Amino acid sequence: MSVTLLILIILGAVTAAYVAGLARVRAVSGGNARVLHSRPSYYGTYVALVVALAAFSVMAVWLIAQGPVIMGHITDLLPADVRNGDPSMRELALAQVVNVAQSGSAFGAEPYAVKLAATYNSMLASSRLYMTIAVLLAALVAFALAYRQVRPQARARNWVEAVVKALLIICSSIAVLTTVGIVLSMLFQTIHFFSLVPPENFFFGLVWDPRFAAAGSGGETGQFGLIPVLWGTVFITILAMMVSVPVGLMSAIYLAEYAGPRFRGIAKPILEILAGIPTVVYGFFALITVGPFLRDGGALIGLDIDARSALTAGLVMGIMIIPFVSSLSDDVINAVPQSLRDGSYGLGATKSETIRRVILPAALPGIVGSIILAVSRAVGETMIVVMAAGVAANLTANPFQAVTTVTVKIVSQLTGDQEFTSPQTLVAFALGMTLFVITLILNVYALHIVRKYREQYD
Amino acid sequence: MIADTGNVKFTTRDVHVFYGAKEAIKGVDLDINNNEVTALIGPSGCGKSTYLRCLNRMNDTVDSARVTGTIELDGVDIYDRSVDVVQLRARVGMVFQKPNPFPKSIYENVAYGPRIHGLATKKSELDEVVETSLRKAGLWNEVNDRLDTQGTALSGGQQQRLCIARAIAVSPEVILMDEPCSALDPIATARVEELIDELRENYAIVIVTHSMQQAARVSQKTAFFHLGDLVEYGDTEDIFTNPREERTRDYITGRFG
Repeated sequence: MSVTLLILIILGAVTAAYVAGLARVRAVSGGNARVLHSRPSYYGTYVALVVALAAFSVMAVWLIAQGPVIMGHITDLLPADVRNGDPSMRELALAQVVNVAQSGSAFGAEPYAVKLAATYNSMLASSRLYMTIAVLLAALVAFALAYRQVRPQARARNWVEAVVKALLIICSSIAVLTTVGIVLSMLFQTIHFFSLVPPENFFFGLVWDPRFAAAGSGGETGQFGLIPVLWGTVFITILAMMVSVPVGLMSAIYLAEYAGPRFRGIAKPILEILAGIPTVVYGFFALITVGPFLRDGGALIGLDIDARSALTAGLVMGIMIIPFVSSLSDDVINAVPQSLRDGSYGLGATKSETIRRVILPAALPGIVGSIILAVSRAVGETMIVVMAAGVAANLTANPFQAVTTVTVKIVSQLTGDQEFTSPQTLVAFALGMTLFVITLILNVYALHIVRKYREQYD
Repeated sequence: MIADTGNVKFTTRDVHVFYGAKEAIKGVDLDINNNEVTALIGPSGCGKSTYLRCLNRMNDTVDSARVTGTIELDGVDIYDRSVDVVQLRARVGMVFQKPNPFPKSIYENVAYGPRIHGLATKKSELDEVVETSLRKAGLWNEVNDRLDTQGTALSGGQQQRLCIARAIAVSPEVILMDEPCSALDPIATARVEELIDELRENYAIVIVTHSMQQAARVSQKTAFFHLGDLVEYGDTEDIFTNPREERTRDYITGRFG
């Protein structure tokens, strides 16, 4: 019996348990809901939850355990020379067995592997059978126990709510655990990288050229200077902020303070559409429209602008980020209490004085928070940079030249044809870790500001 | 309904206010005198706050509001095109129901009005305006050693007196108060009432209140509003001891509202 079918059967059983629990509580209460501790549906839910928990946990344990148990058994059956030989050869032999078992093709396999594959398949089949029996048995026992618990005084609501609470805790810890997992996976590779390349060369190196060692250094690895790449990120982010902060903030002020409700109702969603455009599309726009336009426009006034330049990427990225700044700032400005506006107007302040001297200062922490969120978005952006600013790691302050960013280099280093343990590939993890730490600091700072903002008024 | 004319600050005739299609005030004739406290009383939704907000055109900030009739301040129609609302509000200050200090320091709160109106050119002048206003509002002794702390950190009663100081700082001629004590405890209320009585010497004061006792304590004139009509207006003493109208008597004796 396949696992999918078994899951469907369990779900059916859970539904049946709900109905049974409901029927039982109706029967024991004699139709008088007053004598019950909880409302009837809680008793049904309780029985159903107990059955589901029992069945699924038995199934999960079984599925996790069956692999190692079967493989251990197969290992015992391997020919003695393979079993007691080199561990990596043993792994290879086991992999061959599994491969033959799953594909059903014995082509090129050792005779003993073909035989063991048959054993493997039969063990798997019987494991499935026993699992089905065990799961159904567990469900049945759980149902019997829970069903007996259904009494008028039973605290079904409290149990159900405890289970719901546990479910919520599990869900929220998934996000946290994922973050921890990501950090750890990068951390070990980063440490590995730093065992090959000294950290000071990475953090303070001025040249990014992973393929070639510096002349006369005698080293064999390339030069992994973080500074030019990080500078590219910082530079493009600054350019993007120079576009998005003024435009975003002013459109937020217009939307929040001047626009009528109808215009606002239309304009705000449209602005937010900008945030929904895939960044690849912004990339084309930069590559095909903005880049050539800037190059030709620059040529007209005697400026030498590369078609791929920091300016192009910064400009387009700035446009992409406008909705982040404007939408969040608009919310923050709207959250400033009307009483503060009234107080200012009541003193004879004009609208612009009120905005400049009362509303913006009151909303400032929130606005800064929105800008910092936008910065972390810009720092992580890859596609626009690849298409609009190029991949050359130049250390330059000239916005008309090509630069590149940390994220672009992560992609190009990981997708190269170097072997995975070479510093050329591992540097991607060090870059990723650096970027992660930078955006983490920015986010924590933004959070701190937003929290401070809550204390500001009220 | 027109009181003695020698000392009139505001003259309002046939004032109607509409919020969209709803008529919130239905033709009010009322004079407001200098150096007196005029109390506006009446049940919730009777239009007294709306009327108050006409006097410094705060209703302008509400999109759907429309005001008709004449409201004259010292003989000049404040709804005339030639009148600038900013200058009007500098002459007619307002204190709101809930204390609403700006999230700035105490000093900056009081200095806000003089700054935007350019009333003080030098720092020393500004310091003086701030001190005088805080003294008049009876707050100076409590806050003079911490003028740079946040206005929002004060207690509710202190915040409301700060808002009064803020209104005084632009040297208005009239101060409008919209239930200034409804968010305050009895002790803070007593302090603010005392202050209102002192301020009467220099200003015309219009106060909206739900507390009949407060109206009786602080005001010289009382106007009773009901369902958008001005039912009765006269000396506070007469209104509370010998009302002419049935509805006024019912209201002040607590039979409705």
